[in-house]
Amino acid sequence: MAGHSGSASVAGAPALVEMTDIDKSFPGVRALAKAQFQLLPGEVHALMGENGAGKSTLMKILSGVYTRDAGTVLLDGQPVEITSPRQAQDLGVGIIHQELALMRDLTAAQNIFIGREPRRFGILDEGQLNRDTAAIFASMNLKLEPTVKVETLTIAKQQMVEIAKALSYRSRVLIMDEPTAALNDAEIAELFTIINRLKAEGVGVVYISHKMDEIKRISDRVTVMRDGEYVGTVPAADTPIETIISMMVGRTLTNEALVIPNTADAPVALEVKNLNRGREIRDVSFSVKKGEILGFAGLMGAGRTEVARAIFGADRRESGEIWVHGKRVGIASPKDAVEAGIGYLSEDRKHFGLATGLDVRNNIALASLDRFTGVGGVLDEAKMEKEAVGYIKQLAIKTPSDTQEARLLSGGNQQKVVIAKWLLRDCDILIFDEPTRGIDVGAKSEIYKLLNALAAEGKAIIVISSELPEVLRLSHRIAVMCEGRLTGMLPGGASQEEIMRLATQRQSSVAEVRHAS
Amino acid sequence: MTDTAAPAAKSGPRISGAFHRLLAFSGLIALVVAFSLASPNFMQTQNILAILQATSVNGVLAIAATLVIITGGIDLSLGTLMTFCAVLAGVILTYLGLPLPLGVIGAILAGAASGLISGTVVAKLKVPPFIATLGMMLILKGLSLVISGTRPIYFNDTPGFNQIALGSVVGQIIPAVPVPNGVLVLFAVALIASFVLSKTALGRYTFALGSNEEAVRLSGVNVDRWKIGVYALAGGIVGVAGVLIASRLNSAQPALGQGYELDAIAAVVIGGTSLSGGRGTVLGTLIGALIISVLANGLRILSVAQEWQTVVTGCIIILAVYADILRRRTL
Amino acid sequence: MLNRRTLLGAFSALAMLAASNGPAFAQDNYDIALISKGFQHQFWQAVKAGADKAAAEFGVKVTFEGPESETQVDRQMDMLAAALSRKPSAIGFAALDSQAAIPLLQQAKDAGIPIIAFDSGVDSDIPLTTATTDNVAASALAADKMAELIGGEGKVAVVAHSQTSRTGIDRVDGFVNRIKEAYPKIELVTVQYGDGDQLASTEITKSILLANPDLKGIFGTNEGSAIGVANGKQELGSNIVVIGFDSGAAQKGMITSGVMNGAITQNPVGIGYETVKAAIDALKGETLPKVIDTGFYYYDATNINDPKIAAVLYD
Repeated sequence: MAGHSGSASVAGAPALVEMTDIDKSFPGVRALAKAQFQLLPGEVHALMGENGAGKSTLMKILSGVYTRDAGTVLLDGQPVEITSPRQAQDLGVGIIHQELALMRDLTAAQNIFIGREPRRFGILDEGQLNRDTAAIFASMNLKLEPTVKVETLTIAKQQMVEIAKALSYRSRVLIMDEPTAALNDAEIAELFTIINRLKAEGVGVVYISHKMDEIKRISDRVTVMRDGEYVGTVPAADTPIETIISMMVGRTLTNEALVIPNTADAPVALEVKNLNRGREIRDVSFSVKKGEILGFAGLMGAGRTEVARAIFGADRRESGEIWVHGKRVGIASPKDAVEAGIGYLSEDRKHFGLATGLDVRNNIALASLDRFTGVGGVLDEAKMEKEAVGYIKQLAIKTPSDTQEARLLSGGNQQKVVIAKWLLRDCDILIFDEPTRGIDVGAKSEIYKLLNALAAEGKAIIVISSELPEVLRLSHRIAVMCEGRLTGMLPGGASQEEIMRLATQRQSSVAEVRHAS
Repeated sequence: MTDTAAPAAKSGPRISGAFHRLLAFSGLIALVVAFSLASPNFMQTQNILAILQATSVNGVLAIAATLVIITGGIDLSLGTLMTFCAVLAGVILTYLGLPLPLGVIGAILAGAASGLISGTVVAKLKVPPFIATLGMMLILKGLSLVISGTRPIYFNDTPGFNQIALGSVVGQIIPAVPVPNGVLVLFAVALIASFVLSKTALGRYTFALGSNEEAVRLSGVNVDRWKIGVYALAGGIVGVAGVLIASRLNSAQPALGQGYELDAIAAVVIGGTSLSGGRGTVLGTLIGALIISVLANGLRILSVAQEWQTVVTGCIIILAVYADILRRRTL
Repeated sequence: MLNRRTLLGAFSALAMLAASNGPAFAQDNYDIALISKGFQHQFWQAVKAGADKAAAEFGVKVTFEGPESETQVDRQMDMLAAALSRKPSAIGFAALDSQAAIPLLQQAKDAGIPIIAFDSGVDSDIPLTTATTDNVAASALAADKMAELIGGEGKVAVVAHSQTSRTGIDRVDGFVNRIKEAYPKIELVTVQYGDGDQLASTEITKSILLANPDLKGIFGTNEGSAIGVANGKQELGSNIVVIGFDSGAAQKGMITSGVMNGAITQNPVGIGYETVKAAIDALKGETLPKVIDTGFYYYDATNINDPKIAAVLYD
């Protein structure tokens, strides 16, 4: 399946990285089979594929996290054995993990130089440490104090610290796994400036992402993987997005158009009145009808997740009323919300959505165990299995069985397990917070179809998303937030420009001062 | 370039949980076989019964510890709570002269009530379990001395009491193997705890809490209530341990108890339960407790000097847990 | 598989330890198991030394075990049960609780294994004899010495090691009763318990001294308590009279330097020796007295080097 052969842009010069015939198996899972990858100096090479395609595994082999079972790895044409992350760093291979690996209680500088702190007479030299860090930040054009504690930084800034850390090793190969997942547009532009500068210096960048537009903007070549195998390498500029997607999923996807059902007469399922919580949520009111998908757009930190958590009772609210099906409900905890029929799917599945150590069956049943409980608190496993298997079929959850541990599933399938949990609990108001974060293209479109189907069944759905195309693709109406306020309510099919205008509609600085005092 | 250092591709079937436990069991078997070969006095009915008897109290405590540890918590008050329950049984039976069943029920209820308090402090007041139960440990140690009048309470006026641990129902039927009742109590507690863990909502939430408490809370589950429930159940089980030790000694010793929680926790970790929560079995804990008693007994039978017994026990604890880690890593 | 391998490895190591422990199979000897109340404590190590001395002298095999703390009654039961399984020729037993061990002792008697009690007795006639110190009389002597040193009047206190053990109760009673009967001008202000722990006893001592600035003296009822009292006295720069119990290097040093005025010593080496000797006599079918009094002495800086005293002190 090496149909699309990549053209080496620099003839004669040895490739920075040449990986061939890489095999890797985990118990019961063949993660990589004859995988290959080539990286040239001064190249940004996008690595694409659905989740579970083997991108991360391949890059973890390159960066010394895993050891390969078979195959060869050449660095500058020389065979190498990379057996530890430390060794990879010494060889000039740096990786920025998708899940940030920073120590929250240490400063930015301490994080960057962890394990190789400059010393004087055996004593840590904090001054030198901070000067070195400041120099790296300056080279990145990053305005950040080396002594700032990482826990006080936004995710975006933490990402920048990670990049600074990788740069501090003078990496010639820099692997970035979903670097923009938590960045806003300005920050993405900043990141791309840095990437271009590195490129000019001859650093090879491996760029793992699901976002097509970014791939087009930043990368030179694209290598696609599927099911642990190499599919092909194509030049980024001349290859249509549809071609890349069809290489990833093995079939051609049609971009279904948004269907806006007529919900004018439908009853209101959820109404939120004058919701307040400090500076995060300021007087937010809106309603969602049965069968409607309400999108929530806005920049990072606009207060969308906070609104969702306040409605769900996960955080305390200062004031505001919540009405469900025309009745006011008192929600003081997630338990109350669930009893009112509201389900919340967090953006951070690993921390808040799944009990990763439990199996699929128990995760699906987690919110409704009382329904499977008989005399003396004994669980009816047979009934649980029947329901779980039913949802696995209905939502097409890819899992060997309902007793598979949830952590072993791919992101998209984990998301479906959480959806199944709320469907089983009979929740008819579902709040999705970034439902496709970290989910690959093929699975994304499946989740979209699922949301449409759920709305068609009469569920009221709120979708919070930072990806504008996603909001536009899904929403029947779009609520836009900025700095804790609801700045506008747009009809489905609104323009991106209109949304962005509302998302950046800040209050005047006079009002800001009054609020602060 | 094809290196030998890289592990060979593993594509065999996943090893099942049952086989997993069998591996843990093999450590115990190895010890038993080794001691049997080393001394003819080890594999004697009377000695095996002595080992089981020695396991009964620590085993029951370890089962209680298992429940709490699976939730991701810890209970340091197990040892002194056991003493408190024993002393309370003494107060009820000897000082107040009430009938035997009331003493047993009182001890178990006192344990459950104490667990309820620990659980409430942990769940509602958000005091970390280590601190909350450390506090309870001292409170109970003091209260035991207070209600006993700082003296051991003897059960001489309650004739049947020492039969709870020392008598032998089995021995009346099969005189050749007089298994003490205390051992039967241990197995009964193990069966009940195992059933609760695997078959009931409380058990399921026990694992879920240790696996990801926030996810459980956001599923609309009343996390606090279930957590308190687990601590209360563990407390009730400790109450049983209190009755057992009092019955075995035919007295409630108010100064005893502190330090016993560490032996219980050792049994739990040797049995493969993760101290970070979410994973563990009662059977594993039972095996862990047996490994500790077999080791102590066997070394004594071999007349190993006491200072070396302690060294060997420490080594075995580390080895057992390390073996478990290796097994999990390679699976 | 690894599990089995490592455990077997550990086992073979310990089997070697066992083999090197004593001439177990060298000759057809008596095998005497001593189950003590403690192990690490210098006092019990001195008892062990006495037992070992007798073992060497009479050519018998002796093992010596005891729980980590003197509260662990059930652990002592486990030790006794394991010793029984070993089928020893005789057992020496220092009971932590005067009743708890009776079923096991009965078992030993039924198996024809003679029992010798040491240090403190058992509420039963199973032990053939008890090798012990008369703790009540020993503490009464401490009270007499205390009265003498403080001039027959003033306030005194007791820091004791146990509220529950026989020795703890006897030593407190012996001291307190003697003061009440013989010295009406001496006021006993308090009896506090530090579980024989030096640090806990130090803190207790300091709080007693701070609460009673006019205190004249404190009696510490065992080695740990006495050292704790002396430490507390030093930390507060007090000059009260301190009388201790037992010996040990630290306590001996304190008596020599004058921080502690004096102490009662039992004869722990003698206890261990007499226990083993009594066991051998029993095995040979000789009749034994009901109690073997192993004696006690008062010692201070003036007589600590007397050969008679030095012989019963231990480090």
